[in-house]
Amino acid sequence: MNTASTSRYLDSLLQRQPPASSLTWLNELRANAVDRVGALSVPTTRDEDWRFTDISPLTKLSFQPARDAAQLAPATVEQWAITEASARLVFVDGIYAPQHSFNRAGITVENLASGVTRHDAAARAHLGRHAGFERNAFAALNTAFLHDGALIVVPRDMALAAPVHLLCIATRKQTASYPRCLVIAESGSSVTIIEDFVALQDEAYFTNAVTEIALAGNAEMHHVRAQREGAAAFHIANCAVSLAQASRYHSVSVALGARISRHNLGVLLAAEGAECSIDGLALIGGAQLADTHSLIDHALPQGKSRQLHKCIVDGAARAVFNGNIMVRTGAQRTDSSQSSRNLLLSGKARVDTKPQLEIFADDVKCAHGATVGQLDVDEVFYLNSRGLSDTAARNLLTYAFGAEIIGRIGVASLRNRLEQAVLAQTQTAAAGAARES
Amino acid sequence: MSTVLQDLVNQPYQHGFVTDIEADVAPKGLSEDTIRLISGKKNEPEWLLELRLSAYRQWLKMEEPQWPNVKYPKIDFQAISYYSAPKPKKTLGSMNEVDPELLRTFEKLGVPMNERAKLAGVAVDVIFDSVSVATTYKAKLAEVGIIFCSISEAVHEHPELVRKYLGSVVPVGDNYYAALNSAVFTDGSFCFIPRGVKCPMDLSTYFRINTENTGQFERTLIVAEEGASVSYLEGCTAPKFDTNQLHAAVVELVALDDADIKYSTVQNWYAGDENGLGGIYNFVTKRGLCKGVNSRISWTQVETGSAITWKYPSCVLRGDNSVGEFYSVALTNHYQQADTGTKMIHLGKNTRSTIVSKGISAGHSNNSYRGLVRIAPTAAGARNYSQCDSMLIGERCGANTFPYIQVNNPSAKVEHEASTSKIGEDQLFYFAQRGVGAEEAVSMIINGFCKDVFQQLPMEFAVEATKLLGLKLEGSVG
Repeated sequence: MNTASTSRYLDSLLQRQPPASSLTWLNELRANAVDRVGALSVPTTRDEDWRFTDISPLTKLSFQPARDAAQLAPATVEQWAITEASARLVFVDGIYAPQHSFNRAGITVENLASGVTRHDAAARAHLGRHAGFERNAFAALNTAFLHDGALIVVPRDMALAAPVHLLCIATRKQTASYPRCLVIAESGSSVTIIEDFVALQDEAYFTNAVTEIALAGNAEMHHVRAQREGAAAFHIANCAVSLAQASRYHSVSVALGARISRHNLGVLLAAEGAECSIDGLALIGGAQLADTHSLIDHALPQGKSRQLHKCIVDGAARAVFNGNIMVRTGAQRTDSSQSSRNLLLSGKARVDTKPQLEIFADDVKCAHGATVGQLDVDEVFYLNSRGLSDTAARNLLTYAFGAEIIGRIGVASLRNRLEQAVLAQTQTAAAGAARES
Repeated sequence: MSTVLQDLVNQPYQHGFVTDIEADVAPKGLSEDTIRLISGKKNEPEWLLELRLSAYRQWLKMEEPQWPNVKYPKIDFQAISYYSAPKPKKTLGSMNEVDPELLRTFEKLGVPMNERAKLAGVAVDVIFDSVSVATTYKAKLAEVGIIFCSISEAVHEHPELVRKYLGSVVPVGDNYYAALNSAVFTDGSFCFIPRGVKCPMDLSTYFRINTENTGQFERTLIVAEEGASVSYLEGCTAPKFDTNQLHAAVVELVALDDADIKYSTVQNWYAGDENGLGGIYNFVTKRGLCKGVNSRISWTQVETGSAITWKYPSCVLRGDNSVGEFYSVALTNHYQQADTGTKMIHLGKNTRSTIVSKGISAGHSNNSYRGLVRIAPTAAGARNYSQCDSMLIGERCGANTFPYIQVNNPSAKVEHEASTSKIGEDQLFYFAQRGVGAEEAVSMIINGFCKDVFQQLPMEFAVEATKLLGLKLEGSVG
C-alpha cells in the first residue's frame, strides 16, 4: 500500500474527536498530535520496527470512536471483578463508566478527563512527555483522542497494598477506543496497577492504548497487563515508563487475545540505581499474531534490569519479540539480563525473535539469550514413564512453561484466573500437537 | 586507561607504503562504456559482458543500504577508477622475470612467494591491484586435478565452470555492493576441487590495494565437487592512504554432496589514523551454498582493519544434514566501525549451524554483531547454536548485538546467547602480582577471549592473528 493511501487511512480515523478541554496546554498537545497523525503514515513491513508485523489488515477496515457508552448490567462487569481491588475504573468502548467504577484506595484514581484539571500541574508535567508521538503514528492517534482514561496519583510514602484495577471492555464492532493511563507515583510510594482488556464480542474492533508511568525516587510499582481481547480485535499499546533514583518497576504482561496485538514497552532508567523487571507471556494459536517490542534504556549508572519473555505458539500463529537493551555512555555498573524463550507447538507456527544489546559503557554486566524449540522429548518421556499419557504430559509441560510467568503476578485472583485460561488453551493446543505428531 | 595501553593501541600501521609501479588506470567514472572497457581489456566472452551489464542495470535501480550501524560520507561512484593493471612489461616465463619492485613489495609483506612458499607449503595466487601477476604451485595442484587460478584466466580456460557457478550463490542483483561488484569486478581467484579430491595444501591468496583512488572489486569463486575438501586462506594488508578507498568484493562458495570448504580470512587493511582519517571501506558479500547433502562450509574471520567493515559471511544450508559454521573475531579501535555477522539459512533437513562471534571494541570505535538464523518450514530437525561475546576497552566505544532469529519449524532447536565483559582492574592486578606486565596481560586476556575462534584457524594464521590483535590493541588498555 502506498504512503498516500495509508496516511489518508489515518485521517479517516481522526473523525469524531473529543470536545476541547478547558486547559490550553492539553488542547495544544492534542493539536500537535493531530498534526503528527497527518504527517505520519501507517507503518508497513518495510519499517524495521514493523518488519514482522503486517498491520495492513487494520487498514482494510474502518473504525470510529463510540458515540455513547453501552449500558452494561452490573453482573456483566462483575465477571471480571478482582476481589482484592481497592479501586476500579471501567471503560466501555473507551468511554468512562462511573456507575461501574469505585475508589476506596484513598489515593487519586479517577477519570483523566475530569482529573486533569484538578491535577493540572502534575498532569501537564507528565502527559505526553514519556510516550513520544513524534514518530509513532499510533501514540499520536491516541494523544489526538486524549480524553477519557485513568489518572492515578500515589502520594509521597503511601504504600498501597491492594491493587487498582483498570478494566477496558469492548462491546461493539468497528469501534476504535483510545484508553489512556497516567500513573504518577511520588517518592517512596508503592502501588499495584492492573490493566485489563476484555471483550463481550468477537468481531473486529480497534484498541489503541497509551500508558505513561512516572516513578519518583524510591517509588515502587507492580504493573500487570492482561490482554484478553476478542478474537478479531486489533490491539496496539504503547507503554512508557520513567524511573527516578532507586525506583523499582515490575511488570508482567500476558497476551492471550486479539487477531493482531502489538505491545511497545519502553522503560527509561533515568536516574542512578533504578531497577526494573519485565516479564511477558504470549499464548496464541489460530491465525493470531502477538508482537512485543521492548526497550530498556539504561541512561545512568548502576541500573539493574531483568527480562524474561515467553511465547507459546500454536496453529498458524506468529509471535514476534524484539527486546532492546540500551546501555548509554556513562551508564557504568549496569547489570542487565534478558531472556527470550519460545515454544512452537505446530508445524505452521512461527517465531521471530531479536534480543538486542547496544552497549556504550565498559564497566557493565549484560547478557541475553534466546531459545526456540519444541517440548523436550526427554521430559515428555520422563512423564510418560511416570504413567502420564502423552497428552497429559504435553499439557503439563506446556502449562508449566507458561505458568512461570503467570506465577509472577502478585494478585491471587487474577493469577488464578489467568492460570485457568492458560490451562484451557494449552489443553486444546496440546491436543492439536498430539494429533499432529 | 593506563599509558601502557594507550601506547599499545596507538601503534602506527606497519604495512603502509605505496609501491611505485606504473599502473594502467581507466578514467574515473562508471557507465556502460566503463564496463565494456573492462570487459574488452580482459578479452571477455559475450556472456560475461551481458552478466556485467545486467548487474549494472540492476545496480542503477538500487539504493545504497542505510540499515547498517555505520556512518560515512556518501560515496561518489563516479569519482572512482574501476580498472587499474600494472603495465605489462613482457610475458612472464618464470619468477625471475617478475618486476623486482613487485617482489620487494611482497618481501615487505612477508608473502612466501619463492622457495619459502614451497617450504611453507602454501600456494599463493597474488592479486596485485586487480591483475593476477604470478601463480605458484599450479602444476602441483594440477596433478590432482585442482584448478587454482585467477578468475580472468578461468574465464578463458574453463568458461563452462565459471559460467555455471558465477552468480549462482550471490545473484548479480543480490544487494547494492554485490551488484556493483558483478558489474565491474576485475579479478580474483577461482578454485575448483574435483570429485573426491582432498586439496593437499592450504590455498591462499594475498590481496593488496595499491594505486590511490582505485576501488577493488575482487571476485572469488570456489567450487568443491562431491566429496572434495579444501581449506582456503585469505589475508589482507594495504598501504596507508588518506582518502578512503572502497572495497566491494564478492566471494561465492559452492559445496556439493559431502564436500567441505573451510574459508579463513585475516583482514588488516588500513583502518585510518587515530583520528579516524582515511581507511578502507570494506563492503563485502560472502556467501556459501551447501548445495549437496552432508556438505559443510566453515567461515573463520579475524577482522582487525578497515575504517568500515560491512560483511556477513553466510551459509545457505540447502542439502540435508549440511553444516554451516561461522567463527569470527572483530576488533575495532580508534574510530573504526564494524557491522559484521553471519546469516545461516536452514532449508534442508537436519541442518546444523554454529556461530561464535567475539567482538572487541576500543577507543571511539563501534562494533556490531548482526546475525540472522532462519529456519525454513522445510528444515525439520535443524539445530543452531549462537554465541556472541563482546569486550569493551574504555568507555567511549560501543558494542551492539542484533541477532535475528526466525523459526518456522517446531522440530528445530535454536539457542542464542550473548554476553559483555571488560578487562577488569583486578585481572590486570592479578597478572601484575605474578610479574606479568599490563601489555602482556591484556594480550593474554584477549587471546583467551578469542580462543574458540583462533583454534579454528590454520596454524600459521593463528600465530599471525594472535600477534595482530596484540599489535592493534597496543596502548589501548591501562
